[in-house]
Amino acid sequence: MIAYAANLATLVAIFGILAATLNFVVGFAGIFSVAHAVFFGLGAYAGAQVALLLVPDALLACLVAAIVAGGLSLCLALPALRVRGEYFVAASLGLQMMATTLFSEAKPLTGGIGGLVAIPRPTVAGIEVNVLPLALVALALILFLTARLQRGAFGRSLQSIRDAESAAEALGKNVAAVKTLAVAFACAGAGIGGALFALHLSFVNVESFTMDQSVLVMAMVIIGGTGTLWGPLLGAILLLSLPAGLAFLPFIPPTEVGAVQQIIYGLAMTLLMIFRPAGLVGDLSKGRATA
Amino acid sequence: MLFLQLLLQGVQTGALYALTAAGFALIFGATRIFHFAHGTSFTLAGYVFLFAWNGGLPWWAGSLAGILVAVLFGLAMERLVYRPIQRHEGSFFTVFVAAFGVAVVVQNLVGMVAGRGFASVDTPLSRADEVLPDVFLAPIFWIAVGVAVALFAALSTFLTRTHAGVALRALAQNPDLLRAYGLSSNRLSMLAFALGSAMAAPAAVLTAMTSGLNEAVGHHVMLISMAATIVGGVGSLRGAALAGLMLGVAESVALQFVDTQWAEGVSFLVLFAFIIFRPSGIFGVAQAR
Repeated sequence: MIAYAANLATLVAIFGILAATLNFVVGFAGIFSVAHAVFFGLGAYAGAQVALLLVPDALLACLVAAIVAGGLSLCLALPALRVRGEYFVAASLGLQMMATTLFSEAKPLTGGIGGLVAIPRPTVAGIEVNVLPLALVALALILFLTARLQRGAFGRSLQSIRDAESAAEALGKNVAAVKTLAVAFACAGAGIGGALFALHLSFVNVESFTMDQSVLVMAMVIIGGTGTLWGPLLGAILLLSLPAGLAFLPFIPPTEVGAVQQIIYGLAMTLLMIFRPAGLVGDLSKGRATA
Repeated sequence: MLFLQLLLQGVQTGALYALTAAGFALIFGATRIFHFAHGTSFTLAGYVFLFAWNGGLPWWAGSLAGILVAVLFGLAMERLVYRPIQRHEGSFFTVFVAAFGVAVVVQNLVGMVAGRGFASVDTPLSRADEVLPDVFLAPIFWIAVGVAVALFAALSTFLTRTHAGVALRALAQNPDLLRAYGLSSNRLSMLAFALGSAMAAPAAVLTAMTSGLNEAVGHHVMLISMAATIVGGVGSLRGAALAGLMLGVAESVALQFVDTQWAEGVSFLVLFAFIIFRPSGIFGVAQAR
């Protein structure tokens, strides 16, 4: 039972990182990415390879993962600078589909469909540790950074670009640089989440980095409340405890649990958008950012 | 000869892509709603046809039922999902998430009811004959191309020659002026959804006869329609149809150089290139927003 709770807590922390970083680009920058699982995956593969080939040092794995995911975030920043709204969603969907193919085909780097197996247990300074404390520290750090960035000059520039890009540009904000940095920060965060995920499961394959995963993370952000600090975390907790909760309902055959779970969160997304578009934590009176 | 075979295969796939893409483009052009559940209309129509066929109904009854279900689904989305959302705020992302939620729900329901994995209808029409040395063609190729051409002719006649069609195009250009002339934009947007969703049904029926359906097929269809609409230039039905055809051909011809699993990637590479280098598309006039 304790092992089960620890596993769930670790996953909540990792998905909390993902949701918080996605929320950063969606909620504060108005960049509606449906490709967050791509950078989660990049980080996971990078972290796993570091642990497999060099040393299973968790901090090194996270660093490399953040650099790889943050560096390749240019793939997402480039269309974000060119187009907005529906067009960007389309571009990020395209990126997600291409990355899924790439992950399952680039066998020397990712192990293909079979994935990377037997990733060694993580260590910090030579001592073997659990992923849970690492993930909690990373989550706290990212939430702290998000809150700081949001309140500082950078966050204000970002939100001004979200609300009125031309106005922000007219006031001398470097739109391209701010957007690129925001995307890089979010993707590097997702990469760290990925590295921790790989070290936690000691196994990764492409299944975890598909479009379904991107949608799941997006659902966490949306259901919790876009643009809020705690909303995405709440969304992660809710959606991750859903399968556990469903397992206790006897009348659902085990083979259908996955489908029922997807139906529930699909329904939740639709109904929330109709009746409470700001999400559970979102402030209704403030209204929501429009693209 | 492999090239010719792939090209013909691509034209067949492309004709079906063109149909669904034109439906999507019609809806987006007229209502400015990015109908992400368009692929779901396709899935529903395909499975209704599949059930009707397996239940022993003649092909036309199954097709009609498929079209009817697609239209009803499109109308239900417009009335129950998009309109309430647009009433309180019009953010495209809210619309996208809501439609996405519906697509997820239907995909899983279909998977639960009809079983997961590929299902197809076997007809004599999908059996291929050798028309040229080493080139095989099934009668369904001509049906797919014929249906696509006929429906386009019908749709463009409707949009240019009838009162409702002209009103639809006017809605795309200036909804306020349209209302000032005393036309109901609500009824016209329902018309757009009905027509656009109906366009997906024949393609779904033909897909059920050729490559088969699975519960996630709507996903792929939605992505292709969206890609074709953007590549073709938003607001241009002709562009969407042409781009749909092009994507089908590109996916198929690419098989000469790469393995099948890259086929979908080719479409998105084209989309990605267009978004970065020419966001307004082939026939687009308006700047991308």
